Amino acid sequence: MTLIDNSDQQALAETIQKLIADRSPLSKVREVALSDDPYDADVWRRISDLGVPGLAIPEEFGGAGGTWADLLVALRELGTGLVPSPLFASSVLAAGALLASDDAEAKSQWLPKIAEGAAIGALAISETGDATWGSRPSSVTANDGKLSGTKVAVLNGAQADVLVVQASDGLYLVEAGAAGVTVTTEESLDLTRSIATVVLDGAEGRKLAGDADAILDRVTDLANVALAAEQSGAITSCINITTEYANIRYSFGLPIGAYQGVKHKLADAYTEWSLVDASVRSASQALTTESDETPVAAAAARVLSSPAYVRAAKNMMLLHGGIGFTWEHDAHLFYRNAVTGNVLLGGPLFQQDRLADKLGV
Amino acid sequence: MPAEEFRAKALAWLKENARPFSGDDGDYNPTLQESKDFQKKLAEAGLAGITWPKEYGGQGLGEDELIAFNEAAADFLLPVGPFVIGLGMPAPTILELGTEEQKKRHIPKMLTGEEVWCQLFSEPNGGSDVASLQTTATRTESGNWLINGQKVWTSGAQFSDFGAILARTDPTVPRHAGITMFIVDMHHPGVTVRPLVVATGDAPFNEVYFDDVEVPADAVIGEVNAGWPAAVVMLRNERVTIGAKGRSRSAPLGFDALAELAKEIGTNEDSGVRRKLATVYAREMAMAHFGKVLHEGALAGKEIGARGSAAKLAGAEFGLWASDAAEEIVGQDVALLTGKAAKVAKSILAGPGSATAGGSNEIQRNIVAERVLGLPKDPGAADRKTPFNQLKLSK
Ligand SMILES: Cc1cc2nc3c(=O)[nH]c(=O)nc-3n(C[C@H](O)[C@H](O)[C@H](O)COP(=O)(O)OP(=O)(O)OC[C@H]3O[C@@H](n4cnc5c(N)ncnc54)[C@H](O)[C@@H]3O)c2cc1C
Repeated sequence: MTLIDNSDQQALAETIQKLIADRSPLSKVREVALSDDPYDADVWRRISDLGVPGLAIPEEFGGAGGTWADLLVALRELGTGLVPSPLFASSVLAAGALLASDDAEAKSQWLPKIAEGAAIGALAISETGDATWGSRPSSVTANDGKLSGTKVAVLNGAQADVLVVQASDGLYLVEAGAAGVTVTTEESLDLTRSIATVVLDGAEGRKLAGDADAILDRVTDLANVALAAEQSGAITSCINITTEYANIRYSFGLPIGAYQGVKHKLADAYTEWSLVDASVRSASQALTTESDETPVAAAAARVLSSPAYVRAAKNMMLLHGGIGFTWEHDAHLFYRNAVTGNVLLGGPLFQQDRLADKLGV
Repeated sequence: MPAEEFRAKALAWLKENARPFSGDDGDYNPTLQESKDFQKKLAEAGLAGITWPKEYGGQGLGEDELIAFNEAAADFLLPVGPFVIGLGMPAPTILELGTEEQKKRHIPKMLTGEEVWCQLFSEPNGGSDVASLQTTATRTESGNWLINGQKVWTSGAQFSDFGAILARTDPTVPRHAGITMFIVDMHHPGVTVRPLVVATGDAPFNEVYFDDVEVPADAVIGEVNAGWPAAVVMLRNERVTIGAKGRSRSAPLGFDALAELAKEIGTNEDSGVRRKLATVYAREMAMAHFGKVLHEGALAGKEIGARGSAAKLAGAEFGLWASDAAEEIVGQDVALLTGKAAKVAKSILAGPGSATAGGSNEIQRNIVAERVLGLPKDPGAADRKTPFNQLKLSK
């Protein structure tokens, strides 16, 4: 059951930890976050060289033919360092949609490039004023394959070579640079994620073969487990950084970590993380064994992870006192990332509704 | 035997011999004798002491089989309450620290339900701070020990045959250094058990008085004056027993029972109720999975250690949180101690007790923070060097 910890996966985790320590420590993340670059191209190349974007893509499409659990391990580690990258958008959302489709041509055209990290995919679902996600009515219209409408909160939309767009009658592939496509990078709360608005005005789209609802349902499961894995990693960083500080910051003659007002919050965060970690493992197991439990396990993991991360990040700021609220401290980077993760890809209530649906209550 | 085969065997036996969860079992109150009969059959079927050595009546199997059994058992109401303490705490402690004689003498009988055990740690003047205990054991000329003092909140003492007791054997050394753990015969004439009625109106625990209760030299578990490390072993087992439990369909504050109840009452279409139920499910499952992570880690040689306290804390917090959730899900029926919601109402009332038993949430938080995360010791632990007889104690 602790699938996401076999020896290969442990080795992968260690490699990524080393990559983060050498190339993408939080100081570097901050630099990238404050630049105009959506991510560090050098770090993305190294992640790609390790084969990470193709971990869950079958060999026939140029991937490593590993399991989703392998990719989750990578996401968890990258989550500890808030490493900005298009991995989630491209390898989870876009590749996930392609893999769930029946579109052999689209798969062989895009998956090998995504696996290599040479092309980036994005998934355009969200629309203004809608807190739901996945399979749901869309206001984007399609006339003869020409798409019109607006999508918001598109992760890595501005860097994408191909967008998978949800329209009222199905999913479409839209290539970047096609006529009638305007992609604008938004200023986002989360400095480590690049988020775009995509306006389609008679843009050329190619319909993706397969049952759109089923594809999006699958993608929602993938997104939920993947985000939960990322968040599990990020929570450990919130706890570790705060614990370290609680040992060196003195007040009234003692390290603040000796006081229960501080240590108990950290103990609670650790306990909550233990539950998040356990549910990510079980969801990853379900996903990898293609168990019928996958939708429930994935939704349950996300229902726990996103609010737990918000709490851990908030407490990280609070337990650092004044310093925790400064721009110079990393706490707000985590807090921004946590809040964003809680509201994007379906907010907390949507996730609870989805879990209730999948449980049949 | 592979775990799946074992699961099938367990399931077949349970179907034959145990009562499945039906959501309608408010009238299920097994007597002590029924419990003993059930435990005996369970042991005879090879389903007790699954991971324990064969020479002491166990099955000599692995954690996988244990997990398989627990998962299979989650859908049944097992009348094993009286044995939870004995098998969960004193037995593993004896297996770890006891003499060959003690193991042979007690473990098989504990497994078959012939011997019921209790844990005699807490005292009126200290539960969280177990090491402040004041019950004494003094050596007689013949080398036996005389126990005097009072224990309290002792679960199951009213029907226990034996107890694992902590007593002070040297008051002149710091409090952790002068404690010894003994096996005490609860039928000794010097033992008086008085039931204590609790918040739910039941009397599951007791105050227990010891008046010149003589125990032999070979009743010591571990070493004389090394009762504290023995207690730590037992408390660690206790947290693992209490926390990290599998998901049980029959738990009144669990997802299955609450979902069923919501349907019957007709609150299940309400979106707030549906969302609450979803969250109950997510938390309950995560706890079960956390238990598995710990067990599987242990299997791979990774000590559970103080993470058992995180499991205990998660379980206690779940009970308290699920009480609030149940109020929202079930609504006004919880105000009535009758009908289908009665079990939920009782569980809500019992929640704080379960959170306190086995060490309060605050104590578990201290343990997690200090031993898992490595935060500094609580300032209250500063008197570890003061001789016991010079310490300030509860009034
Ligand atoms: C249902 C039930 C069954 C039990 N069964 C048994 C049994 O079989 N055998 C047995 O030996 N005992 C048993 N107990 C006793 C139980 O272990 C104690 O009640 C528990 O450890 C708390 O101790 P206390 O009651 O003395 O509370 P206290 O220690 O007086 O604590 C009172 C309050 O102070 C808090 N507190 C105490 N110390 C600290 C600290 N350092 N930091 C922060 N907060 C602190 C506690 O969290 C609690 O909220 C049982 C209790 C219950 C409720």
